[in-house]
Amino acid sequence: MSRPIKVVMAKLGLDIHWRGVYLVSQFLRDAGMDVVYIGNKFPEQIVEAAMQEDPDVVGLSTLGGNHLTLGLKTVTLLREAGMDRVKVFMGGVIPPKHIPQLLDGGVHKVYGPDTPMETIIRGINEAAGQ
Amino acid sequence: MSQESSENKACIFSQEQLQVIRQGYEDWFNSVLTEGDRRDEISGKYLTHSGIPIKLLHTPADVAHVDYTQDVGFPGRPPYVRGVYPNMYRGRPFTLRQLAGLGAPEDCNLRVKYLLSHGATGVNILFDLPTIRGYNSDDPEAEGNVGHCGAAVDSIWDIDAFFKDIDLGQISASIVTHLPSTSIVIPGMYFTVAAQRGVPRDKIAGTCQNDFIMETCVGSGPEILPPEVSFRLQCDVVEHICKHYPRFNPISFNGYNLREAGTDAVAEVGIAIANAVQTAEELLRRGMDVDAFAPRMSFFWDLHNDFFEEIAKCRASRKVWYRIMHDRFGAKNPKSCLMRFHIQTAGVSLTATEPLNNVARSAIQGLAATLGGCQSLHIDSYDEAYSAPTEDAALVSLRTQQIIQSETGVINTADPLAGSYYVEYLTDQMVQRIDDYVKKIEEMGGLVRAVENGWLHREIAGYNLKYQKKIENGEMKVVGVNVFRSEEGKSRDIEVYEYPETYSRQKAKLDRLRKARDEQKVKECMQVLRDKCHTDENLYPYTMEAVGHLVTLGEIEALFREEFGLWTFPLIS
Repeated sequence: MSRPIKVVMAKLGLDIHWRGVYLVSQFLRDAGMDVVYIGNKFPEQIVEAAMQEDPDVVGLSTLGGNHLTLGLKTVTLLREAGMDRVKVFMGGVIPPKHIPQLLDGGVHKVYGPDTPMETIIRGINEAAGQ
Repeated sequence: MSQESSENKACIFSQEQLQVIRQGYEDWFNSVLTEGDRRDEISGKYLTHSGIPIKLLHTPADVAHVDYTQDVGFPGRPPYVRGVYPNMYRGRPFTLRQLAGLGAPEDCNLRVKYLLSHGATGVNILFDLPTIRGYNSDDPEAEGNVGHCGAAVDSIWDIDAFFKDIDLGQISASIVTHLPSTSIVIPGMYFTVAAQRGVPRDKIAGTCQNDFIMETCVGSGPEILPPEVSFRLQCDVVEHICKHYPRFNPISFNGYNLREAGTDAVAEVGIAIANAVQTAEELLRRGMDVDAFAPRMSFFWDLHNDFFEEIAKCRASRKVWYRIMHDRFGAKNPKSCLMRFHIQTAGVSLTATEPLNNVARSAIQGLAATLGGCQSLHIDSYDEAYSAPTEDAALVSLRTQQIIQSETGVINTADPLAGSYYVEYLTDQMVQRIDDYVKKIEEMGGLVRAVENGWLHREIAGYNLKYQKKIENGEMKVVGVNVFRSEEGKSRDIEVYEYPETYSRQKAKLDRLRKARDEQKVKECMQVLRDKCHTDENLYPYTMEAVGHLVTLGEIEALFREEFGLWTFPLIS
């Protein structure tokens, strides 16, 4: 049997809104994934956690407007650390017009408010090849 | 309710009348309702958002024990269920308080003037995340967040710029500081600027948020001070401001953000009141008189979707507070027993899907806030799920408030829903449930303890899971999201304010500031503050002294972290 999908979930930088990220973490856990919620972390710390945990997916949550800066920085640092395999998902309050920039920058998927949990679970299952 | 005591009570209906009403109800229930209706009613499946049973029909029998004079009363008289002022909105309509804060302080200054010139009577000053969490704009932690979602404030220069050409003796400024550790700094900057402009202390009106729950529970962050430290700073702020700034509210017990983080209406009020009770106990321990601080304690409620329950919550919270202040703390000044509150409509109820629907949601919530008797109101903007409010959206919010005040006529009479069997029943239920919740927290050793051991975090996380499951399975309906979905109107391109130049402007200003200040003085102030952290003394005079010598917010917060150490947010796995 294959191991469960492993997900590292983080609140990006200084953003204070933990409701969504923790909820998604709980739903992913209920869906059978191995979820580590690391709380508020900066890009370097997220990459460090990813090196230790070796996840399939890194989930970044922000409602604080730092998606283009710290979000893209996290993707770049992950690539530089050789973790190309890790798919980065983002969620939170992200203006639709910024989404193409995030996807171009290597973010795998962006989920805004109102996204059903089912969609997120399916998205991660597909991305992790299961 | 015992038989003897009910004889002396001024119950609205006599026992004979109630007997007739009960019989009538039975008859109606059994012979008029269909069997399906009866089954539905017996199943008890209709509940308010907080879980209070809702009957198909409420009658005087549901409020038979309510004594009009003791339990409901008159506006401006105990127990203040009907409002805190005798003439309510005829005398003073609720303050139209809209949010302002984006980019650099200079940008905010324009927004504040814009709102004031369109009839706003107060402003809420919002800060960007580095300011909220106590970092300077040029600290590495601030990267990517400077000027987003609020204004960047590093020093008194920024407060001066924020309020350029605005008479600080004329406005009421709500300084939304969140944390006690920044409330001991930023309002101090405001007071310093006011003093420099010659505004007398007794003319300075406003509120700061100052709630340790915001630091330790509601908001998460990379660096968090321990709950007991945050609570100490919270009390320092209240003590100092009460002694020196008679028109400034030093604390706004924040039910709003708790609710947004995830609680029901009962817990929202119960937790905020538990915090107020522990704060009062601490200030009494410090030797203050209850009447020296209680009149300046204010509250901040969320106004969520369950229309009547929310109105009942507002009415009930005033009564619970009155009884605590009067019966338990023995307050003599009637103002000590008045619960005054600001309301914001529920951001968490707004959707990114079909954002214009949010105008309707917020208007209904704003109406409920008015019927609940709030003292000031912020109506959320329809672009809430996209960004901090844009100018157009902020204007619609302000206009919604003005429509409620000027067109609907609802402000012409005090507490218009009083006497509704349903609303009085809910109010009574809310009073009991809030009382029980406060008691539960006190039995755990108080709110600081309940935060330290992660109880409150688990309570919130558990609530959220339950609520979200109801949305996912459709039990809780969200129009446009899980019911009445349409493909075309899904999202809208909403113009988002961006201030990419804020960082460089703030950075340049900080560079100038560091050259302009007397470094020797800065060192001295910092050393004194550092030493005082380890005493019982109130730290406010020392942070005030420091900001006056151009010490920055980030420097003071870094000092607190060094001296007090950090605490790990529960729930991290």
